[in-house]
Order: sequence, then C-alpha cells, then structure tokens
Amino acid sequence: MWIDINGYIGQWPYQKLILDDCATLMHRMNRFGVNRTVVTHLNAIHYKNPQTANRMLYEELQNMAGMKERLIPFAVINPTYAGWQYDLKQSLEEYSMKGIAVYPKYHDYDISDVNLTELARMSIEYDVPVALTLRMVDHRSRFWMDVEKEWMLTDLMPLFRRVPEARYMIRNVANSTRLDNEDMQLMKKVQWLMDTSGRVTNNLEGLIETFGVDKFAFGSHTPILDYVTSRLRIEYLDRNEEEKDKLRYVNATRFLNID
Amino acid sequence: MSELDRRKFVKKAFKVSAGSMVIPSMVSSRKEMSDGQVSVPIQDFDMVAEVARFRKIDAYCTARPDMNLVEKLGIDRMYVGQPMRWLEWNPEEFRAANDEILNLMRSFPNKIIGQISVNPHFRRESLDEIARCADQGMVGTRLYYQAKISDPLYFPIIEKLIELGMIIFVHGEAQMGVGGYRMKYDIGRPPTISVPEDFVEAARRYPEGMFQFAHIGGGGDWEYMCKAFRDTPNVYVDVGGSNNEEGMVEFAVECLGEDRVLFGTDNSYFQGVGKIIGADLTDQQKQKIFFDNYNALLKRGGYHVD
Repeated sequence: MWIDINGYIGQWPYQKLILDDCATLMHRMNRFGVNRTVVTHLNAIHYKNPQTANRMLYEELQNMAGMKERLIPFAVINPTYAGWQYDLKQSLEEYSMKGIAVYPKYHDYDISDVNLTELARMSIEYDVPVALTLRMVDHRSRFWMDVEKEWMLTDLMPLFRRVPEARYMIRNVANSTRLDNEDMQLMKKVQWLMDTSGRVTNNLEGLIETFGVDKFAFGSHTPILDYVTSRLRIEYLDRNEEEKDKLRYVNATRFLNID
Repeated sequence: MSELDRRKFVKKAFKVSAGSMVIPSMVSSRKEMSDGQVSVPIQDFDMVAEVARFRKIDAYCTARPDMNLVEKLGIDRMYVGQPMRWLEWNPEEFRAANDEILNLMRSFPNKIIGQISVNPHFRRESLDEIARCADQGMVGTRLYYQAKISDPLYFPIIEKLIELGMIIFVHGEAQMGVGGYRMKYDIGRPPTISVPEDFVEAARRYPEGMFQFAHIGGGGDWEYMCKAFRDTPNVYVDVGGSNNEEGMVEFAVECLGEDRVLFGTDNSYFQGVGKIIGADLTDQQKQKIFFDNYNALLKRGGYHVD
C-alpha cells in the first residue's frame, strides 16, 4: 500500500503540466499502484483569492466515483487575505478537507507573520496538519516572475517556535537541512512528517538516522516532479519491509489521522 | 573537411534525424480514460523489477560514484570524470586529476570508465594528456568553464577527439544570469561558460563530432536547451542532474528524437533513473535512452559495451 502526501492538480503559470486534474491523477495512481494521495490545487497558489481553487478541487471531487475515498484534499489558505477564517471553516467543515497548505513565498508574507501563527493555532483546534512546501519549482530553471529564494529547513523554525503544538507536513526539501542545537531540540519536540520528493532525501538513510523512521513518508510532488524518483528513495533503502511500510503508508495514515 | 562540405554533412544528417524522429504521446494517460472516468484499475507495481528491466550506461557521473547504489540500480557502466574546476587548471593539476580517475578505473575494472579532463589554454599539454589517458583506457572528455566550446582554443582538442572517435562532453548551462541569458539576473558564472548556442556553433563547425551537452536536469532551463538543439543533429543531451521535473525526458525526445537523449545521473542516481522510468515513453524508447544511444556513440570509436 502507498499513500502519497504531496500531490497536486491544476496548472503552473509558467510551464505546461501534463497531468492536471483528478481523473488523470487517479489514473496515474492506479497505474503505479498508489492507493491514496493528498491533493492540493495548484491554481490556489497563484489566485489572489485561493478559495476559488479550493472550491474547484471540492467540486471536481464530487463529480467522480471513488475519488473521495482515495484523494485527500488540502485547502490552500492565505492568512493575509480577507475572509481567510471563513475560507478555512468552509474548506474543513463544508468541503471536508483534511489539511491546510500554506505558501508564504507566493502569497508574500513572512513565516513569522502573526496571521500565519493564528492559522497554525486554528489547525490545532481543527486537528488538521499544516503543509509547508520548501520548493515548488527549482529556482534555477524558473521563469523570471517566479520566486527566487527557496526555503531551507531552518526557515521554518520561527513558526515551529511560535506554535510547537501544531502538526506540520514538510514537503519537497531541496536545500540545507542543517540546524543548530536549539533548532534541533525544537524539531524533536514538534510533530512533523517530511515527504520524499525533495532532493535532500537522496540521503534518506542519513535523515532517518538523525530523526527516526517515523518522521518520513512517501510524497511525489506530482505533477511538477516525476512520479517515480520519490518512491525509489524508499524502495532502495537498506531497511526491512516493516520500516519501509512505515514510509509507504503507515506514517502517513497516523499523521493524517485517516483510516 | 571544408566549411562547404560540413554544411552538406549537416543538411544530410538533419534529414535523417528528422525522418526518424518519434513524437511521443504526451497525454497517453488521458487517452486511456473514457469520458473523464478512470478506466485502469489499481494494480500492483513492482518498481524494483521495473528498474531492473533496463540495461543502463551512466553517461555523466562525477568521482566518486556511490558503487553500492550503482549496483542496486543495475547500472552496467559509469563514465566518470573529476569534479568541476571553474577556471584555473594547470597541466600538473589536470594530469593529477586524470591519474585519480585512472586509479578509480583500476578499482572497478569494466565498471568505471574515466573521462579525460584538460584545459584548452594549454594546447600541447592537453593533446598529450588526451593521448596518454586514451592509451590507458579513458574514453571521452570532461570539459568545463576554461573556455567556451566554440572558442578556437578548443579546435585542436575537438579535432583530436574526432580522430579518436570519442564523445566531446562539455558542462553546459542555460539559466537566467548565465552566459547572456537575461544577464540582469547575473548569478556569478564566468563568461567562458558554454551555453547551448556555443554548442550549436561548435557542432556546426564540426558535424563529424559527437557533442554531449551536460546536463539538462542540472538546474537549467531544459526546455530552452532542448529547443536550441533541435536542428543540430550532432548534439546529444544527457538527462542527468538533481532536477527531475516531469516531462523533461519526453520533451527532450520530442525536440531531439529518441536517438539523441542519454541517461546520466550526475550522481543524482534516483532522479536519473526515476525521470526515465516515469516518462511517458515506450519501453523501446526508454531502453535507447538508458543504454543503446550512448553505446551507439561509443561504438563509432570502438569503445562500446557488448
């Protein structure tokens, strides 16, 4: 069994993506034997009002049999935009979304923004995780209007420090994971789950030795990245099947609080 | 070969290349669905078995390779050069670098083949070094930023490599702030870095040469790179590098044809294998990219794998 904690539908403004809707995502999941996928709508990252795209995702999920059971929708919330509390409530209660995804770089606010802190606190009340994606696209090959600076792991620490009780998904880690002693202690206290889509997880074995096997899970970053690489990092680990299963689906099931 | 003859050669070669080009379906996943419904049921997928189905030659690896992972991924042979030196590199230094690679070859016979590093600013020493290393079994080059590949400094080296039937591997880049591509975003690369247009210029001057542009997954704008080489049939690209964006391999095949795309890792082994396994291409096309295409280039000089 496989659960992908980092999937998208929708389009990226600067590059055509081949698979862009729930039907093609499901088809791909079937072909590669992936049972469930956390899905976020890419358009929400670029819309001024991301709730429009959250609704698009919700409506698409209503229109196909079998999707609601296998696709786990996350709402993109911009906590600096008017009405975001309403958007959050609507997404989690009316649309039954299972988590929150935030994109401070694209929505132009700081990781220390007081509104993000409030959103993280609300995630605790709703008992849902907050997904933080450190890289959307490789900045080196970006279009000139795309964001220039990518996050490193240390950039997340101000939020973790303010709201250590929240649950965080850390996705597509492409740059340094170096932390000082204080931040390392913080990381040990916070509940987080990192996906295997980022290039840093080429050294998944080393990361597991540092943080433990319960902290990682399969995540593809599809359809921006290829669908296979993130999985190879798990398949070729020198670990037993029980530990690999933790990465394939057990950790994700526990973290997402799903059946 | 005169300039006129070279022009005829290019014309002829391009006709052949264009005629055999296969445009893959970029949307076959959609084709297999009817009315937006998912028609293929969920199936088991043995990823390890899938990877093992293809023979592989890594056309771009840098010392030292992770031989444990190389074995696991079933890579038959690695073409390995020394890490990049940007500008300064005197003959004593590049000889020492090649000696290290020769030692690595001795540690992994028939598994690792070294690529020769030289600096074209030292013409005589570079030509001597190519001869010395070729005598000891190194094949092809690992050239970096010391001069653009289209610089006349490189001409005697290119001609020597053509004579030996060896692939001319050069580190290439194309991203904002590099070599004329939107330089207001200057990222500090030396002006002597080779960009796609430099490869095109060199490849048109030497249509009998086999030029390998490394590496379209190296972080640059791979769409730009592939489009730049569409009409230059003697430029090959490897898909190595840490960037494993979806569609990269398919786009390379669409632009260049299925014979001009090579498997490479640049030591990002999972990305190198994963982006080809995951590509929307036929098994035959994948096998060409993983193994056959590079082996065909090696064969021209008699260096191929049986």
